[in-house]
Amino acid sequence: MKLLDEATNLSIRYPWAMAVLAVVLTVALGSQLPRIVVDTDPENMLPADQPARVLHDETKQAFQLYDLIVVGVVNESDPDGMFNPASLARVHQLTRAIEQIDGVRRQDLLSLSTVDNISQDGLGAVRFEWLMRTPPGTREGAAAIRAAAERLPLLEGTILSEDGTALMLFVPIEEKRESHRIATEIEEIMAGFDGEEEYHITGLPVAEDTFGVEMFKQMGIAAPLAGLIVFLLMWAFFRSFALILAPMIVAMVTVIATMGLLIGMGFTVHIMSSMIPIFLMPIAVVDSVHILSEFADTYPQIGDRHKTIRSVLDDLMTPMFYTSLTSAAGFASLALAPIPPVRVFGVFVAIGIVLAFLLTITFIPAYVVLLSDRRIARLKGQQDDAHERRIIARLLAGLGPKTLVNSKLVLTVTVLVAAASAYGISRIQINDNPVRWFRTSHPIRVADRVLNEHFSGTYSAFLVLEHEVSPDAPPAFEAAVVALLDDAVRAGDVDLTERWGALGQSVADVPPEGRLDALIDAVFAEFDLASDAEAALWDEVLIVLEDAQTAAKVFQTPAALAFIEGLQLELQAVDVVGKSSSVADIVKTVHRELREGDPRYFTIPATAAGVAQTLLSFESSHRPQDLWHFLRSDYRAAAIWVQLTSGDNQDMLRVTEHVNRYLESHPPPEGVSVDWAGLTYINVVWQNEMVSGMLKALLGSFVIVFIMMLILYRSVWFAILAMLPLSVTIGFIYGLIGFIGKDYDMPIAVLSALTLGLSVDFAIHFLQRSRAIQRVTGDWRKTVDELFAEPARAIMRNAIVIAIGFLPLLASPLVPYNTVGFFLAAIMAVSCSVTLILLPGVMGMLGKRLFPSALSSESTS
Amino acid sequence: MKPKTFCSIVAAGVALSLWPRPMTGQDLTDVAAIVERANLASYYAGSDGRSRVRMTITDSQGRERVRQFVILRRDAADGVDQDYAVLFSRPADVRNTVFLVKKHVGRDDDRWLYLPSLDLVKRIAAGDKRTSFVGSHFVYEDVSGRGLDEDTHELVETTDQSYVVRNTPVDGGSVEFASWTVWIDKNTFLPMKMEYVDDGGETYRRMEALDVGEFGGYPTVTRMQVSDLRSGGTTLSEFQNVEYDLGIPEDIFAERTLRSPSRRWFAIR
Repeated sequence: MKLLDEATNLSIRYPWAMAVLAVVLTVALGSQLPRIVVDTDPENMLPADQPARVLHDETKQAFQLYDLIVVGVVNESDPDGMFNPASLARVHQLTRAIEQIDGVRRQDLLSLSTVDNISQDGLGAVRFEWLMRTPPGTREGAAAIRAAAERLPLLEGTILSEDGTALMLFVPIEEKRESHRIATEIEEIMAGFDGEEEYHITGLPVAEDTFGVEMFKQMGIAAPLAGLIVFLLMWAFFRSFALILAPMIVAMVTVIATMGLLIGMGFTVHIMSSMIPIFLMPIAVVDSVHILSEFADTYPQIGDRHKTIRSVLDDLMTPMFYTSLTSAAGFASLALAPIPPVRVFGVFVAIGIVLAFLLTITFIPAYVVLLSDRRIARLKGQQDDAHERRIIARLLAGLGPKTLVNSKLVLTVTVLVAAASAYGISRIQINDNPVRWFRTSHPIRVADRVLNEHFSGTYSAFLVLEHEVSPDAPPAFEAAVVALLDDAVRAGDVDLTERWGALGQSVADVPPEGRLDALIDAVFAEFDLASDAEAALWDEVLIVLEDAQTAAKVFQTPAALAFIEGLQLELQAVDVVGKSSSVADIVKTVHRELREGDPRYFTIPATAAGVAQTLLSFESSHRPQDLWHFLRSDYRAAAIWVQLTSGDNQDMLRVTEHVNRYLESHPPPEGVSVDWAGLTYINVVWQNEMVSGMLKALLGSFVIVFIMMLILYRSVWFAILAMLPLSVTIGFIYGLIGFIGKDYDMPIAVLSALTLGLSVDFAIHFLQRSRAIQRVTGDWRKTVDELFAEPARAIMRNAIVIAIGFLPLLASPLVPYNTVGFFLAAIMAVSCSVTLILLPGVMGMLGKRLFPSALSSESTS
Repeated sequence: MKPKTFCSIVAAGVALSLWPRPMTGQDLTDVAAIVERANLASYYAGSDGRSRVRMTITDSQGRERVRQFVILRRDAADGVDQDYAVLFSRPADVRNTVFLVKKHVGRDDDRWLYLPSLDLVKRIAAGDKRTSFVGSHFVYEDVSGRGLDEDTHELVETTDQSYVVRNTPVDGGSVEFASWTVWIDKNTFLPMKMEYVDDGGETYRRMEALDVGEFGGYPTVTRMQVSDLRSGGTTLSEFQNVEYDLGIPEDIFAERTLRSPSRRWFAIR
C-alpha cells in the first residue's frame, strides 16, 4: 500500500512525466493493434489436441467432408412449388454461378443440377444420368424431375422439400473462414434474380463467420457508443468536461494498451477477446468515478487541489486496491477454464484491470493537478446547484434511516429473493447455438427457421463408426497359409515355405493397414512367374489372402451395414433428427434399381461381394466420390450424416443420449467403435467444457475473494458482509435467467466473472468507509447518515453510469451484446441496491460483533 | 499373328491401327485427317486385342485402391463398330464381374453389366458416356472412344513432336467440359496428352500417356494416367501382356455368355 501511495505522490509531484508516460504506453502498445489477427472460429474454443476436436478433424479428412453453406430457394405461390420451368431455371443458373465462386468445392456441391439420377429405362435396363443437366422446358419435365428425385432417399428432404416448395443447395467450401465472403457473393448472385422465389442462406459456418464479421463491426460501434454515453452521464454528474475527460482517457489508454499487449504477444482476437474493450471500459471508469465523485464533493470544503486529491486518495486507496484486485481475481480465475480463448480473455481483462487501477492512482491525480484553477473553480460553482446532486442526495438521505428501521423486512425480502433465486437457478437450461447469437429478425435466423421447416435439417452431425485393428496381433490368415504350404510339403508337391517367408519379409515395412494388399500383390507377382504346380498352390494361398482382404472391409459386410441401418432407424425416432444418410442408403437404393426398381429389393445384398458389386455399379455414375463421404476408402470406417432441424446443444445432446441408450442394448459389431463428429456436436463439447469450467472458475474466485476480504478486514463478519451483495446479485441474476427461460449460453457463462468482480466493488467501498466513519462517530446511526452522503453517492453514480452507459448494447443485432448490456444494468442495479439497502440494516443488527469497541483503533491500511 | 491388332482401354488405350510408316517429314495440315488417324491409332489397332490392366485409383489424400481386369476388344472393321469386354479379377469381391460394350458409330452403344454375386445381368441404358469407369477418374468415353463427329476440331499448333488439336463439343449441354485439347504424337498418332477445360476456363482434368511400347508392330500406350485437378485424385492404368490379332471369336462378346466368361480368352496366364 505504501508503494502505491508513493506512486500517487510521485505523479502529483511530476504530473507531466506521468502524462508523457501514459502517452508512451498508449503509442507503444497501440502500435501493435494493426497486427491484429482475427479468429472467429468457435472450434478454437477447444484446444487443438482436444480428443473430440481431433476426431472431428480426422473425420473431415477421412471422409473428405467440408463445411457446408446452405442455400435455400422457396416458391410458395406456384401450384407446383419450385417444380416449374422458371424456378428450376433459376436454381440451375444459381448453381452454375455458385460453382464459379472461388473457394467453393464444385465437385462436391449438392443441387438438383449437380446430382445423379439412377432409374429404370424400360426393358430392364438401368440408367445413370444427371438429374437435371439442363432445366426442363415444360411443367411435365419439371414434374418428372421431382418424381425421379423423390425416389432417391439421399436427395429427398436434403436438396428438395417433401412438399416440393423448396430446394436446397449444399455448398461445400474449402475454408470455413471464407464462409462470410462466399455467402456474400452468393447473396449478390441471388439479388440479381427476379421472380417469385425467396432466397435464404444459413448453415453453421456462415453463422459463425458472419458473427465474427458483425462482431467486429459492433466493436467499432457499440464500444465507442457506450463510451460516449458514459461520458455524457458523467458530464451530467460533474458538469466539467475537463474533469470527466480523465476517466475517459484512463479507459481509452487501458483498452488500447491491453488490446495492444494481447495482439503484440501474438494472440489472435477471438469472439471472446473482442469483448475485452466492452468489459474493461466500465471497470476502468469505476475507480475514477469514485475519485471524481469524492473530489467534486470535498473540493468545495478543502479548496486546494493538491490537498483534496491527496485526501481523496487516502480515503479511496485501500478500497480501490481491493476492488481492483477482486475484479482482477474474478477474471483471472477464468484461466482455470479449459477453453483457450476464455483463458486469454480472463487473463487480459485481469491485466487490464490492474493497469486501469495503476493509471487511476497515478494519471488521475496528475491530471487533476494539471488542471487550471479556472476550470476547477467552475467545477466548484456548478457542483453547488447540480440538479442531479439534489435528486440523488435527497433520495439517499431518506434511504439511510429507512434501511435501519426496516432492516428485518429487508432481510426477510432478501431471504425470499435468495430462495426464489435458488429455485430459478435449478431451472437453468444450459443451451447454446451459434445461429441464435443473431436476433430473430436477422436473415440468418429467418433462413434457419424457414429451411428447417421445409427440410430435414440444416445442421449436420456425423456418427462415425470405426473398426480398429490391433497392429500387433498376428494376421488371422497366417496360420491358414502355413497349413496349406505344410500340406503341400508333406504331400511331396512343392515347397513354397521359404518363398512365403521371403514375401512376408518383403512387406514388413509396409504400414499395417496396407500390408495385406501389398502381400497379395507380391503373391500375384510370384504366381505370374511360377511353374504350373507352384502356381496352383499360390492360387490356393491367394484365395485365403483375398478372403481375409474381403473380410477386412468391415463396412462392406451385410452385418455391419445392417447395424448402420438399425442405428439410422433409431436416430429417426428423435424429433430433431430430420434424416440420416449412410452407405447403407446408397447400397439399398442401387440394389433396388438393379432389380427393376422393385421396392421389395430396397435391401442390403446378402453377401459382402454382393454389396461390393452394388457399390461398383454406384461408382459407375457421375459422382462416384459421394460414396467416400460415407465410407472411408479402406472400408474400415463409415460415417452416418445426421441432419438436424435444430443446432441447439440440448437437442444435439438428446440425440447423443438416445444413441447411447440404443448402443447399450444393441452393441456394434466386434471391434467397432461409435463416436460423434461434426460442427453441431463440437459446439456441444466446448460449451459443456465451458459451463463446467466457468462454474469451477466462479467457485474458485469466490473463495479467493473471500480470503482477500478476510485479509482486508481481518474480520470474518466483515468478510461475510462483503460477500453478501455479490452472492445475492449472482443468485438473483442467474435465478432470473432460470425463471425467464433464457438459455445459459456462452455470453452468460462468461458474465459470471464480471458479476462477481463488479458487485463486490460497491460492498468493499461501503464497508471500508463505514468502518472508517464508525471509528470517528462511534454511533452506527450517525455513521449511516454520513455513509449515505458522499460514499453512497459515489456508488449510486457508478451504478447509473455503467447501467445506462451500456444500454446501447441492447440495440445490437447480436444477442451476446444484448446480454452483456442487460447484465451490466442488472448487475449494477442489484448490487447497488443490495449494498445500500441490505448492508446498513444487517450491520446494525450485528452491532457489537462488527464494532466491538467504538474506540477501536485498528488500522487496515 | 495377323498384321492388324489392338486392345486396351482408356483413351489412348493401345496401338496404331495402321502400321507404323516412316514419316515423310511432311506435316499433315488437315485436322480431320489427323483426328481420324489418332482415333484409329488409339482405338482400332489390329482386328482384336487383349491386355491385363491394373488400375490404381489414388484419392486426394494419397489413399490407393487397386482394380485389376482383363480387357478384350474386337473390331467389325477399322473406324466402325467394335465390342469390348472387361472381366474383373481384383479385388476378390468383384471377381468375375463383367462389363460388356457394343460400340456403335453414329448411334448409342449397348452396354451390359454382369454382377455374379447378385446373379444379375443388367443392361445399362445408353445415355451419358461421361460417367465414371468403375469409380476411377477415367470415364466410359475414355475407354471406348469419343465419336469424332461429337466435336469440332481445330489444329491449333504443330510442334516438332505433336499436332495440338482443340476440340469443342457440338452439343455443349451434354458434357461437363467446354473444350479439350489433345497433343497427338506425329509419329505414332497416339494422343500423348489431353487437357479438359471447364466453363470457367480452368483446366480441371488431364490425361497423359506415360509410357509407350510396341506390340505386334503397334505402338501402344502402356501407362496412362488421368488427374482430377480439382480434387487432386489420380488414376493410373498399367497395361500388361498386350497382345493383338488373337482371333477372338465374336460369341465371347455375346450377352448370353456373360455368366460364364471364357477362361481361355480372359485368362492371361
